[in-house]
Order: sequence, then C-alpha cells, then structure tokens
Amino acid sequence: MSRRPRGDERGGTPPLLVPPAAVGAALLVVPALALVVRAPWSRLGPIYGEYRFWDALRISIETSLEVTALSLLFGTPLAWILARAHFPGKAVLRAAVTLPLVLPPVVGGIALFYALGQHGIVGQYLGWQIPFTQFGIVLAGTFVSMPFLVVTVEGAFRSADRGLEEAAATLGASRWRVFAHVTVPSIAPSLAAGSVLCWARAIGEYGATSIFGGNIAGVTLTMPVLVARVFQVSGDPEGATALSLPLMAVAIVVLVALRDKWLRSAPSS
Amino acid sequence: MAAIGAVVVSLHVDAAVSRGGFTLEVNVHVAPGEVLAVLGPNGAGKSTLLRAIAGLIGIDRGEIRLFEHVLDAPGRNIFLAPESRGVGVMFQDHRLFPHLRVVDNVAFGPRARGVPRGQARAEARVWLDRLGLTRLAERAPRRLSGGQAQRVALARALAAAPSALLLDEPLAALDVQTRAEVQGELREHLAEFEGPTLLVTHDPVEAIVLASTVAVIENGTVVQQGTPAEISSRPVTSYVAKLVGMNLYRGTAQAGTVQLDGGGVVTAVEAPDGAVLVAIRPSAFTVHDAAPRASSARIGWSGTLRSLAPIGDRVRLSVDAERPVLVDVTPAAVAALRLAPGAPVWLTAKATDVAAYPDVAR
Repeated sequence: MSRRPRGDERGGTPPLLVPPAAVGAALLVVPALALVVRAPWSRLGPIYGEYRFWDALRISIETSLEVTALSLLFGTPLAWILARAHFPGKAVLRAAVTLPLVLPPVVGGIALFYALGQHGIVGQYLGWQIPFTQFGIVLAGTFVSMPFLVVTVEGAFRSADRGLEEAAATLGASRWRVFAHVTVPSIAPSLAAGSVLCWARAIGEYGATSIFGGNIAGVTLTMPVLVARVFQVSGDPEGATALSLPLMAVAIVVLVALRDKWLRSAPSS
Repeated sequence: MAAIGAVVVSLHVDAAVSRGGFTLEVNVHVAPGEVLAVLGPNGAGKSTLLRAIAGLIGIDRGEIRLFEHVLDAPGRNIFLAPESRGVGVMFQDHRLFPHLRVVDNVAFGPRARGVPRGQARAEARVWLDRLGLTRLAERAPRRLSGGQAQRVALARALAAAPSALLLDEPLAALDVQTRAEVQGELREHLAEFEGPTLLVTHDPVEAIVLASTVAVIENGTVVQQGTPAEISSRPVTSYVAKLVGMNLYRGTAQAGTVQLDGGGVVTAVEAPDGAVLVAIRPSAFTVHDAAPRASSARIGWSGTLRSLAPIGDRVRLSVDAERPVLVDVTPAAVAALRLAPGAPVWLTAKATDVAAYPDVAR
C-alpha cells in the first residue's frame, strides 16, 4: 500500500536511493559534527584572545567578498564568451578556465608567484608588489574560486531563453541592453548560485593563499591559514578546532540563508 | 541612427531564404495600414519569413525594405540588426520578460529608444489604457492568463513605435473562447495601426478575420494572393480549397460547359474557354435520397455518403461521387433524409453556383 502524497509532492522517493543518500550525508556531516563535539568549549575565550582571531576572521570575510566581486566582474563576461562566442581555441580556453578546479591549490600559489611575483613573467614589469599583500590573497582567492562562478554561469547563459533576447532586440534594445536588462536578470538565480559557490570556495581557501599571501598577521593572515598555523606550527589541535568554529558558523549561516532565498528558485526560472 | 519611427511606410519583401534544403521564395508588398496574412501549413516557411523581416535571420537573395529604407540586401551587403529596423513583433508565445512587471514590459521599447524611465512608464500606461489593460499594469507576467499575456505583448510591440508590425500566429496559443475575444480586439487595434502589418498563420479563419489581404504560401512559394473574399471564393490550389472549405476541380471549358478532368460535365455561366478551375461551395448542393426527376439544376451527381461531421450549425458531408465532394446541410436535413455513412445520395447544384475561372498554373 502506498502512502498518500501530501501537497504537490509527486512521485515518492525510490527506497533504493535512501541508503546511499544516508551514507553520503554521513560522510559530509559526521566530521563537522565531530569538530563541534570535540571543541574545547570551556577554553574558547582565552584561545580567541591568544591568536588574534578577530583580525583573521575580518580579513577572511573581507577578502572572500572581494574575491566574489572580482569573479562576478570578470567571470560573468568570460562565461558569456565561453557560452555564446565562436572563436578558434575556445575549447582550450574552456579547459584552461576550469584548470584551477583540479590543480592542487598549493601549485596554484606557486603558479601565481611565477606569474605575478617580483621576477614573475608578468610581475617583473609591474611597478608594485603583489605577493604578501592583501591584494595578493584576493588574486589567489579569485584564481581558485572564479572557475566555480564561470562554470555555473556559462551553463545558465547557454540555456537562457533566446526567445526573450530576440523579443528585446525587436523592441529596439542594443546588444548591451539585451545583455544587461534581459539576459542577466533571467539568469539571476544562477548568478547567485555561482557567487555563493565562489564565495564558499574563497572563504575556505588555504593552499594558494598561504603560498602567495604568506601569513602576515592583520594583513594576509586569513582564518584557514591561521587554523593551519595553530595546528602545525603551534602544535595546538584544540586551538585549531576552536578557531574553525566561527568560520563554520559564518559559512553555515550564509549558505542556509542564501539557499532558501535564491538557490531554490533556480529551476523554476 | 534612430529607427524610422512614426513615418508611415510600406513593406516590400522580395526575398529567398534557404533553410536546410528548403527554400522559401516570397514576393509580397504590404501598404501602410494594410494587414497581410501569410497563410500556409506548418513547415511552409511562414515563421522563417517573419524572422527574416524582423532581422532575426538573414535572407540569401533579394531584398527586404521599408519603402526606400533597405533592411536586408545580401547582394549589396546590407543587413540591419533587428534593433535598428523598427519592425515590431508579436510572438506566438508572447515572450514577455518574466522579471519585469507588465508596465515595465511595455515601457521596454521606449526605454530602449532612450526615453527616461518615468516618461517611458507614462507612455506604457497610455498604451495599457488604450488596450484596456490598465488594471494589469503592476502584475508579473506569470500571473497573466494566456489572453492577457497576448494583449500585453501587443501593447509592448506597439509602444516601441514600430514602422511595421509582424504577428506570429497571434491566437494559436489561446483557448477557443479567449481566441474569439482577442481576435475581435486585435482586429480593432490593427485597424488603428498606420504602418503595414504582416501576420503569419495556419488558421484560415484567423487570416480571413484579421487581414485585408491574404497570401497563401505552399512549399515555400506564394500560390495565391488576394482579398479574403477572393481567396475563399476562387481558390487556386487544392490546399487553398481545403483551407477555405471549397470543392475545387480542374477541367476544360468551352462555351459555358466544363469537361472535368477524370470525367463529368458541369455547366458554368461565364466560364472562360480553356483550362479552368471550378469551385463550388459545399452549401450550394442539394442532397436527395433518390435520383431526382428532371429539374433546373445543371449539375447532377450521385455517390455514397462517406462521413458526417458537425461544423457550427451545419453538418458537413463527405461524398464519394465520381470525385470527392464536400456538402453542407442542416441537421434537420440529415434527420429528414436519414443520412448515415454508406447511404447512396444524389447531389444537384445550379449553374449559377459554380465559379469557373482560368487555371493560370496550366
């Protein structure tokens, strides 16, 4: 006998999906839970005071937001080009754009050095220093995070309703106006989803940031780098655990809030 | 360069478009204020024609122009982008912008022209008023019914002040009741539009009701062009005859007598000598359940009733005589004659009800 479906619930879940889904959820949730369970709740105050935690949290939030802004600014046009333009070498460019997704972030940090360091292939011609500055960690974060936005938004541009764009053109809208006033609003849910993914990747970024940005307290010392240092250099796993809690809290609050607001509306648009 | 704006111009299309092995060749002119319906079966290239005029695809040969203003002429390497043409389109699937309220959808054209936001909204409201849509101004498009969305789409197209208007099966997506309502309104608003209007449709009723001229397109070419009355009384191909519900036969006339291809003779007053087409309205026939005695009717055919189908307040009979014949009778006649599939019937018609005209295709 089948259960009566409620509301607009159609086609129940096939029972075969439940066990693997449970395993998948456990793989993702249990480690986070363990962190919460084992955190040194009674010593949080002293630990936060000792490690200049507020500076690191502030830098992490600021730089991750800057990374998201840069990714939107440069990644959205790039996604458009990949989705709609025709030019030789497009397949190669697409592969290159997604390369940071598979590259170990540490390698990304080294690559950034070779490119933008004082003796880098581009950096040697620049009159200012990029590594070990806050701008440097924003660039490193953009390098590893922007692909998430590009991939998400490219798919949206590809499947955006061309009929609306045609209608806009027949109403006299220039190509730019069609892009800004019709296409972009119509893919807003995907832009939001891509931005969230990009931001989430940026705020947790450790590898490229630690290599390219270093760990100058108050300047380039982000939360993930601080946590790693406390764990490896100071040999204080309890401290590292305690420090990771606020990062988790910020991330969970933001992701839950945004998911309800934007990500759910994506399929209906 | 601004679109041509409110200047009243005529639309000239003399163009060929090839699409995957299929070539559409059309030569039509639409005068200012005229509504031309391009009528044809699905896949005849109607939408291709509309997209070419709007600039959404390029033509391969010939030219499209608004009076002297060339929109597309591959021979001279001229192609104007859709946004520079001043050609408005009302799409079958309305294509309202889902993220904009109705008033901002309608204000989109003026905004694109550079009109400031407040003024563009004011213009939009004037159009909404004119089309009786004022109370929908603040709605989101997804909260409109099909008929409302189509009306808003018309308001949006008109608010962009187009020089010419194109309509792509404007009523096809609507249910029967809404279609009748929108059809009436559309007819009114098209009558007020000063520029040329081109309407593509597969529905002969839509074409006849909305258009002042009908061009029938078949296999990529215009097979007949004329007023709705001409098209429906003197169809030139069996496709057109079927569309408008006429019986059409080919024959050869001499001195008012037409020898039909495949046998049989009809008397037709004023039939020109030579190859002719013979058109007979389904309602011109009288049906008998036995061979009629001598009468003044000049056509007398017999056959078997194949099927009956109600259309409106009549019943349409398909009769297998020496040739297929469509006959319209009243339900009362069906009852009185006890007509049923398989019944033998005799058909008569007067010579004055037979239209015979030159068959230019032969």
